[in-house]
Amino acid sequence: MSAPSKSSKKRLKFTLFISFFIVCFLIYRLGKLQVFESDELRKGALEQWTKSIEIKPKRGIIYDRNGKKLAVSVNAFTVWATPADIKDPEKTSKAIAEVLDIDEKTINEKITQRQSVVKIKQWITGEEANELRKLNLSGVSVVEDNKRYYPNENFASYILGFTDIDNNGLDGIEKIYDDYLTGTPGKWMKMTDAANRQLPYDGEKIYEPQNGTSIVLTVDETIQYFAEKAAQQALIEQKAKNVSVIVMEPNTGDILAMTTKPDFDPNNPREPLDDKLKKQWKDLPVEELNEKWYELWRNFAVSDIYEPGSTFKVITAAAALEENTATLDTHYYCNGFIRDIKGAVLKCVRWYNPHGSQSLKEAMNNSCNVAFVNMGRQLGKENFYKYIKAFGFGEKTKIDLLGEQPGIIPSSTDVIKEVNLATMSYGHGIAVTPIQLINAVSAISNGGDLMKPRLVKEMVDDEGKIVNSFEPEVIRKVVSKQTSKTVLSLLESVVSEGSGSRAYIPGYKVGGKTGTAQKIIDGRYAPGKYIGSFVGVAPIDNPQIAILVIVDEPSAGTYYGGSVAAPVAKTVLEETFNYLEIPPKYSEDDEVIEMVKVPDVRNKTIGNAGRILTELDLKYTTEYAELTNESKIIDQFPLPGVEVQVGSIVDLYMDAKATNKLTMPYLVGKSKDEVIKILNDMNLKYDLKGKGNAVMQDPQPGEEIDKNIKIVVKFE
Amino acid sequence: MAINNKKKGKGAVDFTLFLSVMMLVFIGIIMVFSASWPESMMKFGNGYYFLKKQLVSGILGFFVLLLCMNLDYKIYKKFSFPIYILSIISGLLLFTPLGVEIKGATRWLNLGFTTIMPSDIIKIGSVIFFAAFLTNKRDKIDSLAHGTIPALVYIGISCGIIVAEDLGTAITLAGTMMAMFFVAGMKLFHLIPLTVGAMGALWYAVNDPDHPHRIKRITAFRDPFADKLGSGWQVVQSLYALGSGGLFGLGLGKSRQKFFYISESYNDFIFAIIGEELGLLGALFVLILFMIVIWRGIVISLKIEDIYGCFLATGITALVAVQSFIHIAVVTSSIPTTGITLPFISFGGTSLIINMAAIGILLNISRHVNFGRS
Repeated sequence: MSAPSKSSKKRLKFTLFISFFIVCFLIYRLGKLQVFESDELRKGALEQWTKSIEIKPKRGIIYDRNGKKLAVSVNAFTVWATPADIKDPEKTSKAIAEVLDIDEKTINEKITQRQSVVKIKQWITGEEANELRKLNLSGVSVVEDNKRYYPNENFASYILGFTDIDNNGLDGIEKIYDDYLTGTPGKWMKMTDAANRQLPYDGEKIYEPQNGTSIVLTVDETIQYFAEKAAQQALIEQKAKNVSVIVMEPNTGDILAMTTKPDFDPNNPREPLDDKLKKQWKDLPVEELNEKWYELWRNFAVSDIYEPGSTFKVITAAAALEENTATLDTHYYCNGFIRDIKGAVLKCVRWYNPHGSQSLKEAMNNSCNVAFVNMGRQLGKENFYKYIKAFGFGEKTKIDLLGEQPGIIPSSTDVIKEVNLATMSYGHGIAVTPIQLINAVSAISNGGDLMKPRLVKEMVDDEGKIVNSFEPEVIRKVVSKQTSKTVLSLLESVVSEGSGSRAYIPGYKVGGKTGTAQKIIDGRYAPGKYIGSFVGVAPIDNPQIAILVIVDEPSAGTYYGGSVAAPVAKTVLEETFNYLEIPPKYSEDDEVIEMVKVPDVRNKTIGNAGRILTELDLKYTTEYAELTNESKIIDQFPLPGVEVQVGSIVDLYMDAKATNKLTMPYLVGKSKDEVIKILNDMNLKYDLKGKGNAVMQDPQPGEEIDKNIKIVVKFE
Repeated sequence: MAINNKKKGKGAVDFTLFLSVMMLVFIGIIMVFSASWPESMMKFGNGYYFLKKQLVSGILGFFVLLLCMNLDYKIYKKFSFPIYILSIISGLLLFTPLGVEIKGATRWLNLGFTTIMPSDIIKIGSVIFFAAFLTNKRDKIDSLAHGTIPALVYIGISCGIIVAEDLGTAITLAGTMMAMFFVAGMKLFHLIPLTVGAMGALWYAVNDPDHPHRIKRITAFRDPFADKLGSGWQVVQSLYALGSGGLFGLGLGKSRQKFFYISESYNDFIFAIIGEELGLLGALFVLILFMIVIWRGIVISLKIEDIYGCFLATGITALVAVQSFIHIAVVTSSIPTTGITLPFISFGGTSLIINMAAIGILLNISRHVNFGRS
């Protein structure tokens, strides 16, 4: 046995020293981690132990004014996966794919992600949820969720708007009152292990969610239904692009109904209702689809502007009466034209058979442009402009909807030239939104107060307690009660005797005014595209309903407001009176109704036909386009032999070919600007080549040309 | 300390060492119970599965310790070569169908009635044999041809068998044998190319394309929080455990991290659970127990007047020291992660019994020491 060497003992001591050093270093590390960095690490640890699960609040309900549910939240189920807990991803995805009918691969991709939780599918049916739960797949859970549901489908879509898949409001009331409807989410805090199972210590904490506030609209579901039905019918019958109906309570400014057809189903806002469109949209690229969606969601009633045409005469008359520049006794003389404005000749609707002398009432009944130009002139542009502004044109009504447009009115009186004043008097050269017009007419009907259109009446909490209510809001007094009464009497006569007779309802005093205007597309009057409208008030003695019907691009033949829009208003009003139990009051006039047979005026010239119809006490309408006394009537409505009431209107349609013929002007030698002006004035399409002055034109000057051909002009 | 020293080999055991090891084993059984509870509940539906096994191993280990304590250590020198060969064979058996693959590594031998870890047998076998080798070559130990080269060959054989399946244990064993070689008197000059070579081998091991997880462990070590949910997961979870334990700990049994945040919390990361439940104070207590074991071990090597006893004591002490240092350094993220258990404490029957046997040998050596003389 030999003893270890001295060097070994030295080295052993050295080893002991090294060990001691290492222990000191480890003590330093432990101290650093457990004392100095402890707080930070503990925070990280706490974060991973604590799982806070959001408890979604129930989204508030949207009610109509009578407490009927228009938008509700229903239970739905969402499938979640925790990839860490899935033992056999392939089997699991196969099982899920079978129940939910989704591609196996997509599921497999989702459940193999390195994430703590993955959403597999939102909003599955109760049956699917039950089936999945029965399978008892580890790492897959079915969670109860809320889904927005609109029980009436495409009903009041433009008012209600819609939500996204996570219940965030995206449009309409859903968007504007999103904060109230959403409520405050609750939280479920618990300590869990790495696989999200609750730990045996530390209890759980639950913070209850606060459910969303419910919104009570001013809309009446029943009246909305009448409006939707009538609009849909008109859309089909008139083959129109859009039909918009707004029903308002004039005294409060409450919107009782507002619809535009075609619309969408807020349950599925990205799919058009029309099957043909659905197919077309399927293959569209996302960008184009986006555009289509926004077009679909565009609320015509507040977002689109149009030329009001004759309906605007109500505003002109109200202003003139209020300023006393016109009274019921004022007479106007119509010779068919306004010729004293430089560079412009304005025609009356019936310039070929002028109205002659007429009272204010008759001028309104006849919708005589010449009379209204004179009325506007007597009022003066300052006064007229004052009332246009006072009635709220050119500014938003501040209705609770998105995308409202202010319309277009002259920026100041300085830019109103003589011709502008004249055309504005009969509603041309000005652009308004439907909501502005009905709001202005409501102001006239309620005694002169311009109201802020009210869409939301109040907000109620879970238990139905009112938490916030919105009172009707007067913006300003525009006209006196007296003026209001006078205008109403004028409107009544339009319906009982004038161009609005198709809105006449026996037993009720309905007032209204029709309008027909050519559409303006890209700053020019678009040939063949019209907007026919009717604005009405009833009952005249105590107005409770104002209605505006707009038929955009009717293409089933007729397009006069009196023919396409007034009957729609009549349907809605009649049903609404019935529903609101407003009893009819028959006067003696109503009981004696004189009937007359419509004569055959086809193939007659307009001059002759006019005379025949006037003699029979019938009224008639024709389009605005250039007519000559020799223009032939090719069709009429109603057809010959139909019995109608005395005073009814017959729509006359002209030979389009005859009216489409124009004479080619002389263009050679003129500058480009001049040529453009001439051709624009004639509403012709053209193709200009080169620069300088015109040297060649096709067709030649003086040739008879069709309105639709393209003019070629060469410049040098 | 030394109460009597009648005949050589019949003196008193080093009681401090004995007590420290028994405390470590006791703490180990308690901590394995605590740390394994969630997994035991999850897998076996009762929380005592790991406790029972560890308790049985502990009792068995205690008897093995007593046996070794009373068996003259010199006998190992006689049989050192067969012991070595047997331990190497046990390692080679891993490559036969007897080898059991668990979690991607073949580290266990299935003997039918139980499974054992050959790496633990190789560890002790190598130490016994290497001590004998160093004793025999003591005069030429500083020569290259008779000292360094054969020493390195044996180190290579021992570690080579386990390196593929268990890098951590291979490193432990290499460190242990190098410490023995160092104490025995290797030429320090030879250390230079050796260090370079070791660095190279380590670099190769880390960048080995067959083991891509090793390089990930290095990046995860540099900034574990960069990929908290991926490669940095283990390190971050270990740090969270220590940090949330703080100074006093969450209390015995109250670790949150053992609930599957730290995988096999009763094994390669048990020190983190100690830190979490018992705080810095508990962790320091365990660390100091290890320091005492190492201190006593080195003191025994210093005092023993027999060169084989000195080298054997050095080897056993180094085995405990290297392995416990690496384990604690991994848990505190002081070095890159390498899976290695904490001697006496981590769950594992073979490991516990072999370690206790080794301590028994060390205690037997201590009986040959005359402590009173110093």
